[in-house]
Order: sequence, then structure tokens, then C-alpha cells
Amino acid sequence: MSKKRSDYKTTFYSRIENYVNGKDEFLFHKEVKDDTVHELESLEAELTEAADLLEKREEQQRIQDNSEPHDFLKRFHRLYGIIATLVCATLMVLLLITVSWLPRFGEAANPANNVVTKRYIEKGEEETGAVNIVTGLILNYRGFDTMGETHVLFVAASCVMILLLIAEGEEKKSSYAFDRYLEPKNDIIIQKTANFLVPAVFIFGIYVILNGHLSPGGGFSGGSIIGAGLIMYVSAFGFKKTERFFNERIYKIAKVSALCFYICCLSYYFYMGAHGYDNHIPLGTPGNIISSGLILFINIFVGTEVACTMYAFYALFRKGGL
Amino acid sequence: MTVFIYMLLGFLIVCAVATCLHKTLLTSIIIFMAYSTVMSIIWAILEAPDLAITEAAVGAGVTSILFFITLKKIRAVEVTEQEDEQKKK
Amino acid sequence: MEWIKFIMAVICMVFAAVMEIIAIYGVYKFKFVMNRMHAAAIGDTLALFLGALGLMLLRSSKWFSYKIIIVVIFLWMTSSISSHVIMRMEYNIDTKKVEEETGGK
Repeated sequence: MSKKRSDYKTTFYSRIENYVNGKDEFLFHKEVKDDTVHELESLEAELTEAADLLEKREEQQRIQDNSEPHDFLKRFHRLYGIIATLVCATLMVLLLITVSWLPRFGEAANPANNVVTKRYIEKGEEETGAVNIVTGLILNYRGFDTMGETHVLFVAASCVMILLLIAEGEEKKSSYAFDRYLEPKNDIIIQKTANFLVPAVFIFGIYVILNGHLSPGGGFSGGSIIGAGLIMYVSAFGFKKTERFFNERIYKIAKVSALCFYICCLSYYFYMGAHGYDNHIPLGTPGNIISSGLILFINIFVGTEVACTMYAFYALFRKGGL
Repeated sequence: MTVFIYMLLGFLIVCAVATCLHKTLLTSIIIFMAYSTVMSIIWAILEAPDLAITEAAVGAGVTSILFFITLKKIRAVEVTEQEDEQKKK
Repeated sequence: MEWIKFIMAVICMVFAAVMEIIAIYGVYKFKFVMNRMHAAAIGDTLALFLGALGLMLLRSSKWFSYKIIIVVIFLWMTSSISSHVIMRMEYNIDTKKVEEETGGK
């Protein structure tokens, strides 16, 4: 152990060290001695008096000559309002004129009615096996697009986690305590109703997901319905009861595995399609539940992903953790 | 039916303007909920039931709940009495 | 028979619309939050039931009626519960005023 000098505290190097460590703000000034505390207090009082005086003077000056800056600001605001209104009005008029020149909605000669649409409508059911053309379109013909959307959801949930996730410690405890602030705690009316409603909402969501290729709906709508049901359960029973069946671990497993399986299904499709192979997946008879190849499974994966994202948004916004 | 659609569209425009112009945040969120509900009815009329379901679940349900939680977090929904009692204790 | 059904359905629907208008009038007439909530919730409940009854009479098919009954049960539960939650929120936010208006605990 090296010996320290007796007057180490007053040396230049120690001052720099203190400054770097943030202990002392005065780098090149002398240290404040203890005797000067009283002087400092009196100085502070004088300073506050002086500041009051200055404020008073400034107010008087403002009252005296409020002509120049205020007038300018007022004029600027008026001009700003007029210019903004003009720009918005011209934009509106231009857009409305453009809309009036567009062809009528749903005419046969529109540029939207080309070969692609014809093919989708005529051969969609035959090629994808889905009775609901929309689902066959977005999950089969445009599967890449939908995969991008699902990734957008994943990235959005991750960004919200980066922003709002609270690390273990005091802050987390306080946020957990603040969680049910301004809310009815263990309200029996809400709980009894949630007992009836939440299973009904879940079953409806699962129905919408599983029948995505037969009737309107699909992964996104069904997933958001299940997410809304989860949110209702949380607001009725609190996070402690929800964590029994849906905690962070299950969230991670469900979300990542759903995304991975989804990518596996789609890459199988892409690989086989790009090389011109037969993909060996029976399409089944259109109209049955188990038909249309991988669309049913892709719907289930998308639904899991969306439901997890909805619940994660709610939990992260509310208490900063899952 | 056309009259009904025009009524809905007019209500939509009124809701959109009121959402922007209202001074209280809570009220403008509730007006936004009404906007989403009317929008979902319009999707159902335009024969896009998938979009109608999604709009009703996400636009009217989850989005406004997230907005409400955010308002609660930034203490825009104020307590007048409870805080006073807590201070007394 | 068809005409009687149609007239009954129209009467139900018109009555539902009138109930809704009365509820909206009540919402704007009362000053205190709980009174407004009461007007809105009760008017809503009756109007919902009457509108659904009118729809059932208009299209007199069995499965459609079952679906409408499920919808009515769902909406009765959710609308009353949402009113209850908003009332609790009002009580939490402004306890003093609520107790003054309702005559204390």
C-alpha cells in the first residue's frame, strides 16, 4: 500500500480526481470552508432579494414597453394561423379535385381489376383451399407481406419493453404497489361477471382463429379478441392471479416459438415454390375445418403472436413488467 | 341504406374534428372510441367483416385502454379527495 | 300474420329509438355524474332489448333469434358492468362530492 501525502487533499491531482468522480464541482477554485456557511446564507438571502428586485423591475419594464416583442409575437401568431389555414384549405381542395377525377368505385374498367385479381377470385379456392378468399390471399399468395407485419408486431412489443420494462429493485416494488391505484380492489361484481364473460370471449376468439379460412376473421382478429379477454381478466382479478397461467416465461416461449414455426411454414412454402417442387401438403375439401394446407396452422401462430403482443402492451404500460 | 351511410360518414367527420379540438384528454379519447365503433360499422357495411372485427377489438377496445393507462401513468386523471386524506395521514 | 309481425317489429324499434333519445336527453339534463349514468344505463338496457326484439320479429328464423338472444345477454352484462366501473372510478376520484349528493355513507 502506497503512502498518501499528508496534504494530499489539497493537491492538484486529487482535485482532478474528485472532479472526475463527480464529488467536487470546483476544479480550480479554493474549497469552501466551514466558517463561510453563515456568510453564504446571508449572501443567498441578498441574492434572492436582488432577484426579486430584478423581477419586479423586469415586470415594470414589461408593463412599460410591451410594445415591441409582444406585438411581434402576436403578429407572428396571427400570420401563422392564416398561413396554416390557407395551406390546409388548398391541400383539401387539391385532394378533393383529385378524388373527383378518380374512376368510380367498383367499375370493371378500373386499373385495379387486372389479371391478378381475376386469378385470385377464379382460382383462389382451388389453389389455396380456403373458402375465405381474403385469408387465402393474405396468408398464401402474399405470405411474405403478412410475415413482415407479424415481425412489425414483434419489434413493436420489443421496443415497448425497452422503453417501459422496469428492472428488479425498489422502483419495481413501488410500481407494483401503484398498480391498482384508483381501481376497485377485488370488486365482486366485476369478478363474477368476468367469470362468465372471459371464457365466452376466449371461445369466440379461438373460434375466429380456427375458422379463419372458412368465415371472416383470422389470426389478427381472433388474436386481438383473445388479448382483449386477457386484459379483462387482468382488470378483474389483478396480476397475481393472471401470473398463474400467463407469466413472463410462458409469454417468451409462446411468442418466440409461434414466430419461429410461422417462419418455418412460410420458408417451406417459399423453398418448394421457388424450385417448382410439389409441396406434398394435401389441400383437403374446401369447407372442412382441416383443409387448405398450412393456412390453419399459420392462423394459429399469428393469433398467438397477436394475443401475446396485446397482453404485453397492457402489462408493460400498466406496471412495467409482465 | 345510403341515407344511413351518409349519416355515419357525417358522424365520423364530426368525431374526428371533435377529437382534435376537445380540450380534455379523457373526453377526446372517449370520442375516439366512438369514432372507432362507427368505423367498424362502416367496415361491416362495406362487406369487410374481418376488418370490422379487428377495428372493434383493437380500435375501440385495446387502443383506448392503452390511452387510459397512459393518462393514469402521467396523472392526468386527478384525485381531488384521496390525496388530501393521504396527506392528512 | 306477416303484417302484424312487421307492425309489431316497427313499434318495438320506434320505441327503442325513443328510449335512446330520452336517455340522451337525461344525460344532458342532469348535473351530477351518477344521475347521468343512471339515465344512460337504464335507457340503454331497455332500448337494446326492444331493438333486439324488433329484429327477431322482422326476421322470424330460429337460429337468428338464438344469436340475437346471446348478443342481448352479452350486451346486458357488459354495459351494466361498464357503468358500474365508471361509477366506482367517479367515487374514487371525487369521494366527497358523491357522499354529499347521496347523503353520506
